Amino acid sequence: MKFTVLYGTESGNSELIAEDLGAKLRETHDDVEVFDLQNFDPAELTPERFTIVVCSTHGEGDLPNTAIPFAEAFDAALPDLTGVRYAMFGLGDTFYEETYSQGSEHIDRRFAQQGAERVGDYGRHDASSWDMGSDVALEWLPGVLEAASATV
Amino acid sequence: MSSSTTPKIAVIGSGPAGCYLAQSLLRAVPGCELTIFDRLASPFGLVRYGVAADHQHTKAITRQFDRLFQHEAVRFAGGIEVGRDVSLAQLRELFDAVVIATGLTADRELGIPGAELPGVIGAGAITRTLNAHPDAAAPLPALGSDVVIIGGGNVALDVLRFLVKDRAAYEGSDVADEALDAYLAAPAERVTLVSRSAAPDSKGDPQMLKELAALPRAVYSSPDPIEAGNAGEALDRAAAGRVAAIRELIAADRPRSTGPEVTLRFGLTPLRVLGEHRVEGVEFAAGDEVIVVPASSVVTAIGFAAHPDHAFAALTAAGAETGRVEPGLYRTGWAKRGPRGAIPENRACAKAVSDEIVADLADGSLSASPSTLGFDGLAAEVRDRAIGYEQWLRLDEHERSLAASDRVRRKLPDHDRMIDIARGA
Ligand SMILES: Cc1cc2nc3c(=O)[nH]c(=O)nc-3n(C[C@H](O)[C@H](O)[C@H](O)COP(=O)(O)OP(=O)(O)OC[C@H]3O[C@@H](n4cnc5c(N)ncnc54)[C@H](O)[C@@H]3O)c2cc1C
Ligand SMILES: Cc1cc2nc3c(=O)[nH]c(=O)nc-3n(C[C@H](O)[C@H](O)[C@H](O)COP(=O)(O)O)c2cc1C
Repeated sequence: MKFTVLYGTESGNSELIAEDLGAKLRETHDDVEVFDLQNFDPAELTPERFTIVVCSTHGEGDLPNTAIPFAEAFDAALPDLTGVRYAMFGLGDTFYEETYSQGSEHIDRRFAQQGAERVGDYGRHDASSWDMGSDVALEWLPGVLEAASATV
Repeated sequence: MSSSTTPKIAVIGSGPAGCYLAQSLLRAVPGCELTIFDRLASPFGLVRYGVAADHQHTKAITRQFDRLFQHEAVRFAGGIEVGRDVSLAQLRELFDAVVIATGLTADRELGIPGAELPGVIGAGAITRTLNAHPDAAAPLPALGSDVVIIGGGNVALDVLRFLVKDRAAYEGSDVADEALDAYLAAPAERVTLVSRSAAPDSKGDPQMLKELAALPRAVYSSPDPIEAGNAGEALDRAAAGRVAAIRELIAADRPRSTGPEVTLRFGLTPLRVLGEHRVEGVEFAAGDEVIVVPASSVVTAIGFAAHPDHAFAALTAAGAETGRVEPGLYRTGWAKRGPRGAIPENRACAKAVSDEIVADLADGSLSASPSTLGFDGLAAEVRDRAIGYEQWLRLDEHERSLAASDRVRRKLPDHDRMIDIARGA
């Protein structure tokens, strides 16, 4: 499988997690790319590459800054994502009770609406938990990979 | 070849700005060697010494920075004050580039008659004491029964939250217990928070106001119209969130127990601080009216400025457009932008400054000289005194081990003692 790991961040946590997921995937796969969402063209989402999105929440349940240009480009292009499979890992903080971890859901909704299929559990990290985001994400990854290969 | 492509860069300050800048440079300038200086034995700047003790989730960002300091190309040099232990000019000789990330520590002055009266206290002084900063006045100054907070931003709300909370609410925090004990021995009876702006335009995050509403403490009221912003214009989302949160706070049916009576005032401009020998009240202009609010103490939370004694205060221009002072000398974070913006903003700021450095390297206005010695060129006495990251970890561990069972850490306010412990003495 080929992988594209995308992150949307404001304070850098998602980037670190995305890089750690990328490094883990490279141990067993040759073709793994990691991009900041703001440097990624939605037209590049293809069924050939399994996509993992790591994205935090800012403002009041909003996308983080680096994911906003991507969302705008996405809405302008509305790419057909039929056949695209992806997994989601959302960052948030239960301190923000009403809007907890909603940032990544903005991307998730867009992907689903355009026909992409989410695979595996929806991963979450809570900044109030004091767990390391990367630890949680690396524990989450095998389940996603298993689900991904089971549905091929 | 390799030495000419591997710049040695000094970063002055290990707060979010310095840490994000170092992260950015590690990616943008492969092979660079970074030394991050801090005048304190501990890294992280205001994450450790500004962010409220009861907001440990915000302090969790240090785990990201821990990763940075573990990088082989990054050195922490704590306990070294640039301008005292080593000059900026020396650093510029020893390093190919120097980045100022020293933040802004002085409380902005109120600048009205009476502002120098005893009993007028800067919010920075209070938040440093609560965070056991080694420079802080150890005992918390007595605040008395009637506290007036001037300012409506997040720091003002941090102070307000401190004034209304009781002891049980600090579970899991690293508050300086001496300061907490001193305050709770004689807590405020009345608190007035005064914002110059109308409620919708005041600067506090809605979430900070919601947090106050959720605490089972204090009774809130406001005589001012909460929705009167720029009349007629639709409120943006943050303003609408703020208005909703304030409504909830002052709602008659808000569940409450004990705690101070809090009055929220909006659209008031401070005119002068009243009092003979110490603060007795504050006079405000509210439109054409003049209002006097009695006060046993006044906490100013109206922003920060460069400390006048700071060795390069003149270089930390408030609100500079560019991080480049000249090729080879840069600034980032609050030292560049002025005292505005939360932790995440420093990341975007650092990226922009790192881009300027990369551009200067690319066009040759900045180049890595094979003869710059970097950290190794410092006087042996300075090098030996610098607290490395491993030594900080020892101090970190010590602080955690000292914590009472309901605290995450017990900070040592004595800097010499911190250094001894870091060194394993
Ligand atoms: C009271 C308070 C509470 C805050 N709470 C929050 C919050 O909850 N959430 C949030 O997102 N933001 C918060 N902020 C804002 C946040 O702290 C700032 O955005 C951020 O710290 C600015 O980063 P900086 O690196 O520019 O400065 P700083 O964090 O101040 O770091 C500057 C560093 O430089 C060092 N230094 C200074 N001079 C020298 C010298 N001559 N030589 C060597 N080292 C030197 C200092 O010791 C310090 O470590 C708060 C700010 C304050 C004041
Ligand atoms: C100003 C601000 C607003 C936030 N708003 C929310 C929110 O509405 N909901 C949430 O779950 N988390 C919120 N968070 C928490 C972040 O999502 C969390 O800290 C995350 O780890 C940040 O990841 P990042 O570094 O990749 O941006 C907010 C954080 C900040 C600083």
